[in-house]
Amino acid sequence: MKTVINEENRRNFVSLVESMLHDKLSKCYQCGKCSAGCPVNFEMDYTPNQIIKMTELGMEDAVLNSKTIWLCVSCNTCSTRCPKGFEVTGIMDVLREIAEKKDIISKVEKEVQVFHEVFLDNVKSNGRIFELELVGKYKLKTRRLFRDMFLAPKMFEKGKLRISGEKISGLNQIAKIFKDFE
Amino acid sequence: MSRIGVFVCWCGSNIAGTVDVAKITEEAKKVPGVVTAVDYKYMCSDPGQNSLRNMIREQNLTGVVLAACSPHMHENTFRKAAVKEGLNPYFVEIANIREQVSWVHEDKERATQKAIDLMKMMVEKVKRDKPIEDVRVPLNKRALVIGGGISGIQAALDIASGGVEVLLVEKEPSIGGRMIQLDETFPTLDCSSCIMTPKMVEVNQNPNIKLYTYSEVEDVSGYIGNFKVKIRKKTKSVIEKDCTGCGECWNVCPMHKNVKSEFNMNLSERTAIYVPFPQAVPLVPVLDRSACLHFKKGGKCVKCYEACGPKCIDFDMKDEIVEETVGAIVAATGYDLMDNSIYGEYGYGKYKDVVSGLQFERLLSASGPTEGVIKRPSDGTTPQTIVFIQCVGSRDPEKGVPYCSKVCCMYTAKHAKLFAHKVHGSQSYVFYIDIRATSKGYEEFVRGVMEQDGAIYLRGRVSKIYEDGGKLIVKGADTLSGNQVEIAADMVVLATGVIPKNGAGKVAQMLGISYDKYGFFTESHPKLRPAESSTAGIFLAGMAQGPRDIPESVVSGSAAASKILGLFSKNEYEVEGTIASVNEATCVACFYCQRVCGFNAIGPKEIKDRSGKIIKVVANVNPGLCTGCGACVNACFSKSIDVKGFTDDQIYAEIRSLAI
Repeated sequence: MKTVINEENRRNFVSLVESMLHDKLSKCYQCGKCSAGCPVNFEMDYTPNQIIKMTELGMEDAVLNSKTIWLCVSCNTCSTRCPKGFEVTGIMDVLREIAEKKDIISKVEKEVQVFHEVFLDNVKSNGRIFELELVGKYKLKTRRLFRDMFLAPKMFEKGKLRISGEKISGLNQIAKIFKDFE
Repeated sequence: MSRIGVFVCWCGSNIAGTVDVAKITEEAKKVPGVVTAVDYKYMCSDPGQNSLRNMIREQNLTGVVLAACSPHMHENTFRKAAVKEGLNPYFVEIANIREQVSWVHEDKERATQKAIDLMKMMVEKVKRDKPIEDVRVPLNKRALVIGGGISGIQAALDIASGGVEVLLVEKEPSIGGRMIQLDETFPTLDCSSCIMTPKMVEVNQNPNIKLYTYSEVEDVSGYIGNFKVKIRKKTKSVIEKDCTGCGECWNVCPMHKNVKSEFNMNLSERTAIYVPFPQAVPLVPVLDRSACLHFKKGGKCVKCYEACGPKCIDFDMKDEIVEETVGAIVAATGYDLMDNSIYGEYGYGKYKDVVSGLQFERLLSASGPTEGVIKRPSDGTTPQTIVFIQCVGSRDPEKGVPYCSKVCCMYTAKHAKLFAHKVHGSQSYVFYIDIRATSKGYEEFVRGVMEQDGAIYLRGRVSKIYEDGGKLIVKGADTLSGNQVEIAADMVVLATGVIPKNGAGKVAQMLGISYDKYGFFTESHPKLRPAESSTAGIFLAGMAQGPRDIPESVVSGSAAASKILGLFSKNEYEVEGTIASVNEATCVACFYCQRVCGFNAIGPKEIKDRSGKIIKVVANVNPGLCTGCGACVNACFSKSIDVKGFTDDQIYAEIRSLAI
């Protein structure tokens, strides 16, 4: 890959990310401890430390279209172990957010993106997760109705899925959080 | 008749584990001349040494063989013990059965046999030992320091503060060396001039220091304690004692646009009569005759002479040779930068805005050509984006040198910091392979440059620089993101590799000290004798030994000084007596020995009769210089040279003992 660094664009992108992240990209040592412990690194196109460097270099298109930002499961192993206390999980969230705002649809990890959307919708309307609704909406949106169906009986049996959902009492506060954010 | 004692050491299980020490002892007793043989767990311990001393006393021993560890370890220990019993120390011989036997062999039986052989050889050697007296050399308590950079200055000041007279010889018109060219110093950002000039002035005012600027050491002969030195005082064309340093002469010099200033790394011009920089010590100009109109146009121009108040300009002045005698020398000749133009891809020399680290240093400096305002050499505008490239020449065995120049990581970080401070909103990019920031406060400094000053560090090298629309397009790689990157820069600064000062090899040959394949002077021992050269009485300091930063240079200057003060604390210097000696009766004066001697230790000696007539010329060994290496012994056709304690007779006896 070849990157022509445009100083102005680079600075704009870096300051946007840093303002949302409340952290400085230049903190990163590039030691790779984040990538070393990442449980989903094997599926990623760029390792987490590469994402940090690429963001610093202003490679906006490459990072926002990467698989990495959508594959991150936010397990926080990276952030916990980072010797510089850098918000590695945080940068993935920030980049996902920017991608959403710019309507960048990930070509490869579209389903992950859909899952995030459905998940947030679910939280917005219930204040918590109603699994059956989440699964249903996700399947409708991805049009893959019968995938993993055989897991359902066992999940019912163990009480992981319920027929009826609950809403929390302070729904207005949840709405406020969403509103503040938007 | 010899009465030899053999002492076999177990060294705990180090020797006894692999070698049958009891058997060696038994075998030793059978060797003719051996009157006693014992083994002991630790011969070097107090009881071990006492048993050695008792045995020498009780058995009237004439020689001692220790089958033990390497002579490097405890030869001195046992010699000292023997001396206490009145034995000459050279009657103690060591058979090394640890490093040469037990540590390197497994088969106990064969190892024991080898140990017995070594022991027998040493018995034969000690039988033929003769008493040797250590050589004492008188000391001239004066020192010569070659090089007036920071390490030379530090060495001179420290020696002088010990009350010893010092001669400081500097090639350039002023002392100060490379350090005075620097702007601010990492990691504390002390202004280099501010911390350097007081030291320079101190040198000039110290009554114990005799300063020779614009001078070169031309010849050195002699040995520790007694070096004869020839110093060439190059023609300054200015009578130093009368000059007030007022500057009238260089102000009127018409040649103000024609000569590049060496001090400003060719970024500005100087006059033909000049001081390299305003704070020069001594503040006396020199007249560069190669640039002067007076010399070029047959004496027509005398403007400087006319302007000079005290009339101290002398166009007829000649080089002067001064001869001095000193007891010790410090070689602190410093460094140069590699030639950047070997990298065509960086365009140094082709593009004006591609500069070396030292040139950028001058651009930053308040005393520099731009008075500290960073300006592009091409058009004088202020650069907004600078690309710094590290390891230019260093760590490049193919085109440059394989070693790390050690200071570039730090000065590049400093450049990026000062650039950020001086040009707000500017951006620097640093291409590096590794960052070496290993001294106190260095790592924190580099991190600060990245985190506070916003320099972008790219791990990778640059492949090509070309000009496009007033910008320098830098094509490089960032291996961390796996990318080829292209940056449009206003300036490029190359962190050029450090090489020994031009002519350092010649200086080393003149001094008779060894130097490595790059031309850096080598230490007597890289770890344990870092201030000493391979030749006694010559000490090393500063970058002449290899890349190092200012604190290390200061330390090495002080180290050399303390070694000299220690040497001069005695009236005589003692040299081990195992040196070459010539049999004057058989020497045929072919002087092959002189040709092979690496230490200039052999010279001719005239033997005269009573009336003073020369009867014969023979080779003569200078005890101050001889190291007892034995090269001359091999070269001698008439077998007239032997190294004391290692005579041919002894070596052959050792070999014969193996045949019995």
